[in-house]
Amino acid sequence: MTPRWHRYAFAMLAVLLVAIVLFPVYWMLVTSVLPSSIVLSRRPPLLPPLDAVSFAAYAEVFHRRPVLAWMTNSAMVVAGSTVVSLTVATLAGYSLSRFHTPAQRVAAATLLLSKMLPGSLVVVPFFVMFTTLHLTDSLAGLILANVSVGVPFATWMMKGFFDTLPRELEQAAKIDGCNELQALWFVILPLARPGLAACGIYLAIVAWSEFVFARTLVTKPANWLVTVGLQSFVGEYLVEWPALMAAGIVSLLPMFVLFVLLEPFLVSGLTSGAVKQ
Amino acid sequence: MKVAVRRQRLPARDRWLAYGLLAPAFCVVALLVGWPLWVIVQMSLRPGRALELGKLLSQPLGAGNFERVLGAPATWAAFAHSAVYTTGTLVPAFALGLVAALLFHRTFPARRWLRSLLLLPWAVPGVIVSISFLWMFDASFGVVNSVLRRLGWLSTDLAWFVDSNTAMIAVILPTIWKSFPFFAITMLAALQSIPATLYEAARVDGATAWQQFVHVTWPGIRGAAMLAVLLNTLWTFREFDIIFASTGGGPAGATETLGILVYREAFGSFRFGTAAALGVVMLVTALGVVAAGYRWLREETR
Repeated sequence: MTPRWHRYAFAMLAVLLVAIVLFPVYWMLVTSVLPSSIVLSRRPPLLPPLDAVSFAAYAEVFHRRPVLAWMTNSAMVVAGSTVVSLTVATLAGYSLSRFHTPAQRVAAATLLLSKMLPGSLVVVPFFVMFTTLHLTDSLAGLILANVSVGVPFATWMMKGFFDTLPRELEQAAKIDGCNELQALWFVILPLARPGLAACGIYLAIVAWSEFVFARTLVTKPANWLVTVGLQSFVGEYLVEWPALMAAGIVSLLPMFVLFVLLEPFLVSGLTSGAVKQ
Repeated sequence: MKVAVRRQRLPARDRWLAYGLLAPAFCVVALLVGWPLWVIVQMSLRPGRALELGKLLSQPLGAGNFERVLGAPATWAAFAHSAVYTTGTLVPAFALGLVAALLFHRTFPARRWLRSLLLLPWAVPGVIVSISFLWMFDASFGVVNSVLRRLGWLSTDLAWFVDSNTAMIAVILPTIWKSFPFFAITMLAALQSIPATLYEAARVDGATAWQQFVHVTWPGIRGAAMLAVLLNTLWTFREFDIIFASTGGGPAGATETLGILVYREAFGSFRFGTAAALGVVMLVTALGVVAAGYRWLREETR
């Protein structure tokens, strides 16, 4: 057993490491709640003077830019692509886990290939396809593009998760009179909830972060996603830092909440599936 | 691979089910991975800038795009930048991830919450990582320069992202920040799979902490660590968002990696053929890395 004081020493070290790692997020937050007069200083205070704290930058950025519309667009793309990818990947992952077919090798090769294809290149054929199908400037097109990234990895992750569930479960269900699909639906899927949660949060975060497809396949500012909208600030002659940081913090919130609540699922899901072979 | 041993044919009923469940994924992969790849290869082998498939396919086949790409100094400069960017990210991110994993493998109060917070950078979109670092490393008002000036280590307003001497470091730092949690997660999971009895045995034999690390911990996590290195190398090699949203490849091409060059060729100059050829070159390089890494991985995990 580790001595008591050891455990507190490790906790202190961990707090220190977390503090250093999260400094960029802290600094975004500090900048977002201070007026430009304090922020644009050659010696910015490391701790915000509390009497100067205001949320004016948040009000301003929401008033002057369609941040809320961008976030809604992002949310729709995330929801659509996560649901489609997760459904497709769950069925495929289950098949790969339970039946040994040549498809296993194909799936592994596809996973690797899709990890190697740079997004800035894949976007070219998508551009061609969407121009032909009149899918540019549509969120449905972006959902499809995100599904192409999500399915290979999610399939492999779900396969890894199903591998940890014993086959006796289905055999027992069959003895009780289920057919294969009923066994999957009533017995396996309820047990696979942690895996589904891990996979879903992974897909959601990747889709929320996506940038190349969103920037190239959508041009009207009203259809922008939040990543594209925020990037558009940077090219401006005078960057309004507090406003930009405020928008940045707001855009991080949904994923942070999801991540902190579901992180244990993610760690166990990633490790039971994707990483081990 | 324990799969290969059982090689019976599946009964017909199971075969229907197995392939039926796979069918949606097969459609997605064929349509959204296979077809784009085919278009890229076609584009790389045909001259002109046609974006319509019919026009494109009516062009004669030829290796002109590859000749142009491989003869251009910009390609080799981008190769060099990609190599520096990838290794410059990999080594510190691995070290930081390992330290974090070893620390968080211990038991201490509030570990679960601290671990969530530690891994948070992974959930931050690349574009926002860039924006945050652009501001922290701002020449006049950035907090980093301010601290360096207070410490007396800096006397000028160093413009990290704009100065061609520091731009590469400036884009590597946010990339390390975003990618270390992946190493931490994978190595933490591997650490947790090492049986505690091995450490007890080592302690009974009088092994020091360092000896325990070398003979118990490292052999236990080496396979997972090497796989993480390989995957992260691939990820960094094709990384686009962080560089594009901060320097855009500048100043004067100092941070122009292959991923950025492909995009500039395609959507800056509209030379889709050379962009596709460059992409194929990138893909072949990545395949080479994977092939080499796979052998190495097999030997390491044996």
